[in-house]
Amino acid sequence: MIVPIIIRTLTLGGVYALLASGMSLIFGVAHIVNLAHTAFFMVGAYGMWFLMRQQGWGPIESILVTVVGVTLLGLLVYRVFLNRVRQHPQAILLITIAFALVFQELLVLAFGSHFRTAPALIQGSRLILGVRVTNQDLLALGVVAVVMIVMWLVLKKTKLGIAIRATANDAEIANLMGISVPRTLLITMGIGTALAGVAAVLMAPLWVFYPYIWMSPLTMILAIVVLGGLGSIKGSVIGAFIIALVETLVVFLLPQHGYMTTAFALLAMIIVLSVRPGGLFGTIFEEERL
Amino acid sequence: MASFFEVENLTKRFGGLVAVDNVSFRIERDEIVGLIGPNGSGKTTLVRCIIGILSPTSGTVKFKGQDITRWRPWKVVQAGLAGTFQVVKPFRRLPVIANVMVGCLCPRVTRRGEWVKSTQIKARDALEFVGIMDRALEPASNLSHGDLKRLEVARAIATEPELLILDEPFGGLNPAETELVAKSMKRLHKGGRFGRLHSEGPAMLIIEHKLSELMKIVDKVIVLNYGKIIAYGTPEEIIRDPQVIEAYTGKEVPVA
Amino acid sequence: MLKRRLNDFRWGVLPVPGRLMAVIFFVFLFVFPLISDARYPLLIVTLACIYAIFAVSWDLLSGYTGQVNFGHALFFGVGAYGSALLYKYLGLPPWATIPLGALIAALAGVVTCLPALRLRGPYLSLLTLAFPLLLSQVARAFPEVTGGYIGIRGLPALAASPIGRYYVCLIVMIVSVLIMWKLTDAGSKNVRTGLIFHAIREDEITARATGINTIRYKILAFAIGGFFGGIAGGLFGHLLRTVGLGVFAISLSFQAIIWVVFGGIVSIYGPVIGVFVLYPLVELMQGTAIGEYRNLIMAVIVILILCFMPEGIAVRIRDKIERQCPRCKLSNAAWRRECRACSASLRHVADG
Repeated sequence: MIVPIIIRTLTLGGVYALLASGMSLIFGVAHIVNLAHTAFFMVGAYGMWFLMRQQGWGPIESILVTVVGVTLLGLLVYRVFLNRVRQHPQAILLITIAFALVFQELLVLAFGSHFRTAPALIQGSRLILGVRVTNQDLLALGVVAVVMIVMWLVLKKTKLGIAIRATANDAEIANLMGISVPRTLLITMGIGTALAGVAAVLMAPLWVFYPYIWMSPLTMILAIVVLGGLGSIKGSVIGAFIIALVETLVVFLLPQHGYMTTAFALLAMIIVLSVRPGGLFGTIFEEERL
Repeated sequence: MASFFEVENLTKRFGGLVAVDNVSFRIERDEIVGLIGPNGSGKTTLVRCIIGILSPTSGTVKFKGQDITRWRPWKVVQAGLAGTFQVVKPFRRLPVIANVMVGCLCPRVTRRGEWVKSTQIKARDALEFVGIMDRALEPASNLSHGDLKRLEVARAIATEPELLILDEPFGGLNPAETELVAKSMKRLHKGGRFGRLHSEGPAMLIIEHKLSELMKIVDKVIVLNYGKIIAYGTPEEIIRDPQVIEAYTGKEVPVA
Repeated sequence: MLKRRLNDFRWGVLPVPGRLMAVIFFVFLFVFPLISDARYPLLIVTLACIYAIFAVSWDLLSGYTGQVNFGHALFFGVGAYGSALLYKYLGLPPWATIPLGALIAALAGVVTCLPALRLRGPYLSLLTLAFPLLLSQVARAFPEVTGGYIGIRGLPALAASPIGRYYVCLIVMIVSVLIMWKLTDAGSKNVRTGLIFHAIREDEITARATGINTIRYKILAFAIGGFFGGIAGGLFGHLLRTVGLGVFAISLSFQAIIWVVFGGIVSIYGPVIGVFVLYPLVELMQGTAIGEYRNLIMAVIVILILCFMPEGIAVRIRDKIERQCPRCKLSNAAWRRECRACSASLRHVADG
């Protein structure tokens, strides 16, 4: 019982971590709560399915085209629409949800609302501690680990990373220090959506996709990001595994109430927020009594 | 008989930084007290602790014999202690007059039998008093910095305080404006009625950098440095105090 | 008395195009059944009345007080389920279950507000988003009480005929909107909540330092928003005579926000117009060739409005046809050169 729970927590947590850290990065730097984040993820998964199943492309070119395509889509949406209303947080929330709906409707019109799943990138499965795990799952876990480490290195060690962190801290002062804030924001948005694209590539063979799939992971990702503290990548990663654990426990311990996973995840979020209004690793800007 | 207003051993820490360190002082009902000190000496933090926006780490604040240390800001205001902010925070999209009317809605004022009907007239008088009545209908975001400072004062006096704490009321004002505000402070301190606006003749705690103007209107001066009180006395005593001079100029000056 | 009212109308309503249009609009709503008593259009307008209450209650809570609530469907759902359960277990008639259900929704508002009091901005929005989801899953977990997936059926109707139901919803809508309009009117001579709500939205810390008990008024805003959201939910349940889990849907919460933003946030009349324009429009599309695209069209409209007309369409139109006199703050028709009361020039207002 313990081993399958751990393995499922790790694989699920990995995907959540990819999605949540992308969303958290975008919020931390650009102050955009991108509710279309999982919709980008969904578009990416459809891309994989379309290219591999419908067009018969190989995995490598499909992966490349999907990740680049999703990233470009994210940049386009940011540049043309989000950029305009960046100062109004409510407008951002609405416009991103509207984009999620646009993607959903376009997918319905293009492919109908059938269940889809892409072919596995690598076949087979193996036994780990007596539990059968597909190689695709292991691949996903490995890629997640590599991506997270690369992202951490980029943010800590490179010039770009310093520019991103400076902008996150104070855009105005970053501007005065000679950092091009609009460019940094654009790059951040690109990285964030690219992460969603990578998650899509990894998950397209594992999950079943339909045009409304963006909603349920969205609530999970929101719970993770808020619980970890908006804008904190470390918080998002830790939050991702916490929520994944909660979800797995619900599925394993209350199998007849599998639909309650969201409820428990949200409950975890509400509890954390009641104790720490800024999430686990978030910052409250002033030490004011609230 | 306890003092009108009393701060005892007030300390506020931010992590490792002690912003306000064991500060104690008193203000009597009819006094105007100045609070001075170099930048970063903890003046604003002290005020924010008194008004209840921050909660102090330790120590007590007493007002009219009541311990108000951990009271919420609105309760403090309703008890008769109002303050202005150093960094002005108006209700930006509301008209100037509405900014002041919010102050007139304070239960402290309405309990006296004044109901919402009269607030507009009273808010006008408060604006008249600080001299920005002509901008009353514009949104507060249109105001210049100096006018916003005056708006802060109008908002505070609309709650009819018995103790008024002003955080840099002269900040960003030119000399002529400064003198005007200083005079109106004196007038306010005398008490009485200004149209519908009632002045309790509040005691005042004024935080300021412009010492020359401040020294003309205050009875006592408190000097704060690195969160500690380093001097307390009448303006004449203070300007001769070698410790104060050192804090401001940074070097020892031989006392003549 | 009547003469005074007539005078008010002659001088206070006729010269101001916005008010005149509001009067025409309500007169139109009252005579609507005479124009068309077919069941379907009548049902659409009845539902529009219910959604108007819902949208305005969101505007009161989130537009005015700035507590941007992403889970307003919670109140709709609690109102609907509350009144349905009151009927199911106590057998009360609609005129009792709807207000009582709304009171339960107000209570739900207070309960949500408690963890939300310490939160601001996106944290608050995302927390509130969680509550209706949570409650819908709870409702699903107790099928013997709530009917589970199927919901509660067979509620008593609001009135015998469709026209009767229409008038009940219309009158409740008008009364509710008037009450909420009064409560949020910052210039009101008798009610202070409007000004205080504005102040809390603009800067909560300053509001506190000005002696306003912001916690009390935030709770009040949640309770009022919850109450009227619950009224809408209760009416909805009794109109359709069934209550299902759909009343907690995220899409319903967002629908309210879309209506409000479309019409104009922080305006009360904006949401009403938003609902009465958008909702029938979408329903009309359903039967036609473009029916397939209606959600897409909605989403695109929202994006375009937000990017190019963030103040909302009703407010934009009002700004075009009305000008405020700089001296006496009276509203004037935009085409006048002088204020109708104090004859101050309106020229430069038009330029600025």
